Amino acid sequence: MRKTAEQTPGHDGPPPARATQMVLRDTPPPPGMRWRRFAVKLVALALIWGVLTEFRVDALYFGVPAILLGAALVFAMPVAPGWRISPAGAVSFALWFAVQSVRGAVDVAQRAFSPAMPLRPGFRSYAPDLPGGAPRVMFLNTITLLPGTLSAEVEGDEVIVHMLDTRADLEADLGALEARIAALFGLNVNPRGST
Amino acid sequence: MPDLIPLVSAVLIAAGAVFFIAGTVGLLRFPDTYCRLHALTKADGLGLALIALGIALTASSFGEVFRIALIWFFVAVASATGGHLIATYARRVDRAEGKEGS
Repeated sequence: MRKTAEQTPGHDGPPPARATQMVLRDTPPPPGMRWRRFAVKLVALALIWGVLTEFRVDALYFGVPAILLGAALVFAMPVAPGWRISPAGAVSFALWFAVQSVRGAVDVAQRAFSPAMPLRPGFRSYAPDLPGGAPRVMFLNTITLLPGTLSAEVEGDEVIVHMLDTRADLEADLGALEARIAALFGLNVNPRGST
Repeated sequence: MPDLIPLVSAVLIAAGAVFFIAGTVGLLRFPDTYCRLHALTKADGLGLALIALGIALTASSFGEVFRIALIWFFVAVASATGGHLIATYARRVDRAEGKEGS
C-alpha cells in the first residue's frame, strides 16, 4: 500500500532530512482581541441556537443563559496565538478530507469483510513540524480519518501512530497531511536553517 | 424528475448502513483495541456521513439540514477525539501490564 511519495523522495535510502519547518505568523494579539472574540462567539452561538430552535421565542428562556455562559467561557480562556483560516486552503482541504475519509473507510471495511483479514498492525512515531494549538489538534484528529492510521498517543513533540499495516508509507501520508494543514491555516513554510 | 431524490437518498442511506455493518464486523473480528478503533472511527464515521447526507436530501427546511450537519460534525470530532483517548488509555494499560506493543 505505497502512497504517493511526493513529500519524501528517495524513500528506499536513509530517512530523508525533514526539510521544512512551519512558523505561525507571530502577530501579538491586539488589545481589544478578547472583547472582539467574545462578540463574535456571542453572535455565532445565538445564530446556532436560533436555527436549532427554529427561532422560537419561549426557547430563549434556556437559550439566553446558555449563550451568555458559552461566550463568557470563551472570554475567560487565554488568547491563543493568532491563526487564521485560508479560504482557498479550506476548500481544498475539505475536498481532500472527504476523499481521504472515504478511502479510509473503504480500506478498513475491506479488511473487516475479507476472510483472510489482512492486518499487520503496529506503532510508529512521527514528529510533526506543525506549531502547537489549533493546527496540531487538527493534525491529530485528521490522522485518525486517513486510511490505516490512528493517532494513539502524544509523547512530547512526537505522535505515536497506530497503523493497520506497518508496510504503508507513513512519512509520505503524514507529510502530505501536514502540508495540507499548513495550507489550511495559511502558515509560512520555511526551509529549515534559513531562519 | 422528482422521483430521483428519494432514490438517491435511499441509496446513500443503504450505503451508510453497509459501512456501519463493516464497522461492527471489524469491531468483532479485529484482534486488539487499536484495530477495533480503526473500524469504529473510520467505517462508522463514513456510515453516519452517508446516512446524514441521505436524510438531508429529503429534509423540508434549511434548519433541518443545519441540525443534521451539526450532528455529523460533533459526532465526527467526538469520535476522532474519543478514539485518541481510548488508544492512549489502552497503551497506558499495556505498559502497566508490561506488554509494550512494538
